[in-house]
Amino acid sequence: MMISALAVTAIIAALYLAYPAASDANSEEKVFLTHTGAVVRTSGEILDPVYTAQTVEFDPEKYLRDFQYGRVSTMEDGRTLREFTIVARDDQMMEISPGVFYNAWTFNGTVPGPTIRATEGDLIKVHFINNGSKPHTMHFHGIHKAEMDGVFEIVGANGGRFTYEFDADPVGVHLYHCHVMPLEEHISHGLYGVYIVDPKEPRPEADEMVLVLNGFDTDFDMENNFYAANTIPFYYQHHPIQIKKDNLVRVYTVNILEFDQINNFHLHGNLYYYYPTGTYSIPGAYTDMITLSQGERGIMEFTYTYPGKYLFHAHKTEFAEKGWVGLFLVT
Amino acid sequence: MESEKTSRVKVVASGIIPLVLLGAMIFYIFGPGSDLLDFGTPLPNITIERIDFVGSEIHVTVRNTGPIDVSIAQADVNDRIQPAAIEPDRFLARFEAAKVRIPYSWNEAEPYEIGLTVNDGTRFASSVEAAAPALKPSIELVSYFAIIGTYVGIIPVLIGLLWFPFIAKMSQAKYTFFLAVTVGLLIFLGIDTIEEALEISSERLSGAFNGQLLVATVTITSFLALYYVSEKMISRATSHLSKSIAISLMVAVGIGLHNFGEGLAIGAAIGLGEVALSTFLIIGFTIHNTTEGLAIAAPMAKQRLMIGRLAALGMIAGAPAIFGAWFGGFVYSPYAAIIFLGVGAGAIFQVAAAILNWTRKDQKTFSAPMVAGIAVGMIVMYVTSILT
Repeated sequence: MMISALAVTAIIAALYLAYPAASDANSEEKVFLTHTGAVVRTSGEILDPVYTAQTVEFDPEKYLRDFQYGRVSTMEDGRTLREFTIVARDDQMMEISPGVFYNAWTFNGTVPGPTIRATEGDLIKVHFINNGSKPHTMHFHGIHKAEMDGVFEIVGANGGRFTYEFDADPVGVHLYHCHVMPLEEHISHGLYGVYIVDPKEPRPEADEMVLVLNGFDTDFDMENNFYAANTIPFYYQHHPIQIKKDNLVRVYTVNILEFDQINNFHLHGNLYYYYPTGTYSIPGAYTDMITLSQGERGIMEFTYTYPGKYLFHAHKTEFAEKGWVGLFLVT
Repeated sequence: MESEKTSRVKVVASGIIPLVLLGAMIFYIFGPGSDLLDFGTPLPNITIERIDFVGSEIHVTVRNTGPIDVSIAQADVNDRIQPAAIEPDRFLARFEAAKVRIPYSWNEAEPYEIGLTVNDGTRFASSVEAAAPALKPSIELVSYFAIIGTYVGIIPVLIGLLWFPFIAKMSQAKYTFFLAVTVGLLIFLGIDTIEEALEISSERLSGAFNGQLLVATVTITSFLALYYVSEKMISRATSHLSKSIAISLMVAVGIGLHNFGEGLAIGAAIGLGEVALSTFLIIGFTIHNTTEGLAIAAPMAKQRLMIGRLAALGMIAGAPAIFGAWFGGFVYSPYAAIIFLGVGAGAIFQVAAAILNWTRKDQKTFSAPMVAGIAVGMIVMYVTSILT
């Protein structure tokens, strides 16, 4: 009796410990080519940050050249009125890298929010609705009245409303973001977007695009786990941005990266004219490498002479190896 | 007859009813539709158990040691994202393990940190002090470990046995003193072994496995089992001669299990690339283990010298160091290592208890030579242990 009790206990203990080791392995080997070019043969699965179209909740392809000009009407004095409706939420789970889910806080459902674009002198009205569970605001960079600054006029949770009204001024590439404390938390979760003011005399015809340099601290240790141009790590490396040779390309770039002191932008096989903040029509530099602090932004203009694949990435290579890397495919 | 049957049924029922009620309560608390425990957020937890450097890949063994299922989303080396394969798949149920294979041209002797990110974005990391190629069992390596095991285990124990004639010719009081030295050595070794097991448990085993309690459970169980066996063996032994051989045998078995643990430490240190550490381990254990021969020789010292038996006991005590080195170097598992060390500690305490019992028949348990001997034994072990 006692011996058998001992034996049963021992056998159950042994099975309990052996169980985890028993795996449901399938023996069929597959070959994977990883994004760094390494070849792996495995009977298991591949862990490679290759974002496939099916799982994208935010589409960097679409965001890249998607400019929102608002609902346009002409006022009595002949000026253009542009009205936008922006809804803030803070309850969405977003797959920011394959298999990694993060609670993103969004303007109109995406990180970054929509790119708001107007011409110098237009009147902009942003109807802001806060459907989040926390107070949020919209703070626009640019010239406007103090009460339109989105800092002290806190918009309450669960349906709070506010209409921001200001002139599109000055010309340049700017940004907007939530300005509720704790600020770092509200920004790093994704409440930001790009705001562009075009000069009355339009800039030369070009292939225009927006690249927001951002990152995500998914384990909340005040260090970014992922870096990207337009949110999804490595996205444009696997889905190169297609541009034409001998065609002017204009990139509106905004650095909104939290936690790190600097970010930078390096272009391969070419140099660009750089217009800091896009406020002057004379470039501040002709270079292939600019350094940006948080909130710094500018316009880059370049033309490729030779076709092929060209990298662009943070020359802070740590950021590049954590996702802030992409390709231009020149045809 | 009828009533005897019903009373038997009653007994069985009274044994089962509490279990049924317990099951019902667990079902009520955790079962479907229950919101009793629906508070707090369970956080994922994984443990990186092994990191091996194989060819142009880094192999990482990971186990889900948290309260909920997880899926592994990403691997990194030195905090830089790397593509990898995971076998059998990325989904890990509780306590399930998987192997992550990261193609990486690693450099020998450089430190690496390996990180794994799970589905909620939490990154778990583990470091290696110096990358060294994973040890593949080859004839050279097997014999290399065998030679180290021989140096550490067999030779020092056999040298220690040479004290036999020295002990054999001494008075009863002095003899008691030397037996007590043995007891001191053993108590020290037992504590040392437990410490080693606890160290492995805290460094390499996830908290979910309750490593400290595993050490306690295995140590006490093996102590009781071996105590029972040795009592039987000694009570069956007819002569004083065979009694002393039986005790020496138990001492040898206990020390053998302890030396298995030492071999394990050396093999694992070499396997983990901590070569400098293992050099010190080897020198330290060699000096340390010479004293173990004394422990085996002492109980037999008042008998006629039987070189063959003594040598055999020396082998029983020393040879496990070789097996330990093989195990530690080639198939290291923290869980198995803790069990082996726990058994070793139980065995050693059992032997110490047996010798104390044995000497008590001749005189008071804690006579002057006894107290002095235990103290000397422990101090000698402490001093030689500083060398490791």
